[in-house]
Amino acid sequence: VLKDFGVTLPEVTKIRIWDSTAEVRYLVLPMRPEGTEGWSEEELAELVTRDSMIGTGLPKQPGEAA
Amino acid sequence: MDGAHDMGGVDGYGPVKPEPNEPVFHGEWEKRAFALTVAMSRPGGWNIDMSRFARENRPPADYLSKTYYEIWLAGLETLMVERGLVSREEIEAGEVLVPPKPGVKPIAPSEVTPAIRRGGPTERTPASPALFAVGDTVRMKDIHPATHTRLPQYVRGHLGVIEINHGCHVFPDLNSLGVGENPQWLYTVRFDGPELWGAGSDPTLSVSVDAWESYLERS
Repeated sequence: VLKDFGVTLPEVTKIRIWDSTAEVRYLVLPMRPEGTEGWSEEELAELVTRDSMIGTGLPKQPGEAA
Repeated sequence: MDGAHDMGGVDGYGPVKPEPNEPVFHGEWEKRAFALTVAMSRPGGWNIDMSRFARENRPPADYLSKTYYEIWLAGLETLMVERGLVSREEIEAGEVLVPPKPGVKPIAPSEVTPAIRRGGPTERTPASPALFAVGDTVRMKDIHPATHTRLPQYVRGHLGVIEINHGCHVFPDLNSLGVGENPQWLYTVRFDGPELWGAGSDPTLSVSVDAWESYLERS
């Protein structure tokens, strides 16, 4: 499924699946991209995508942001 | 019910095709289908669990050939027909053929936004202590109710570990039958991949589901 979303992860990455079967909702805290030390909250928010918060994508990398 | 909606762990559907820049609604009719369903729940007198059952309770071929909001619309028609709020003939004709059912009070446009903002919180005050603690090993019951349930087929009969206690929540299986909210303790239960998917499956993978207390038994 991750491949369908264009995501390839290293073999060592542990995958945790959350099946949302109740009214409790979850969001994923996207992994902070390298090279963003010292960035402001606004700058970091620019890297966050929908897919990176639902566990089907990685955030944008520095330089990729619109 | 064991229906087409419960497709976790089922093969053969082909790849997911993510839609670039997916809009919230694909057209005006989807907005209307959503709004009608939400606006009708109070005058219609049904709850979210009854509406979920109305959507999933259809032949697999029908369920799988409909888009998301086509299923919503079909569910709304079922709920309204069941309560005598519309007839199949009226849906076909697209107009009122018999006088409206008396005593049904439509929701006013000004009430819609506050109602959506309020949402539908499901947490309730517990009436008894929780039977399970975080870290306990539990077995999911192998039950197959013909009515609404939130227990996915792929975890039934399997061993997992209690990961989170979410407090007491409305129990959908009974709430969908209109016999009251019957709140129960709700837990997140975590399963190792091979426990669910068998030998040779990814040992680093885990799956967590939310499960009400009556789905669980001490292992």
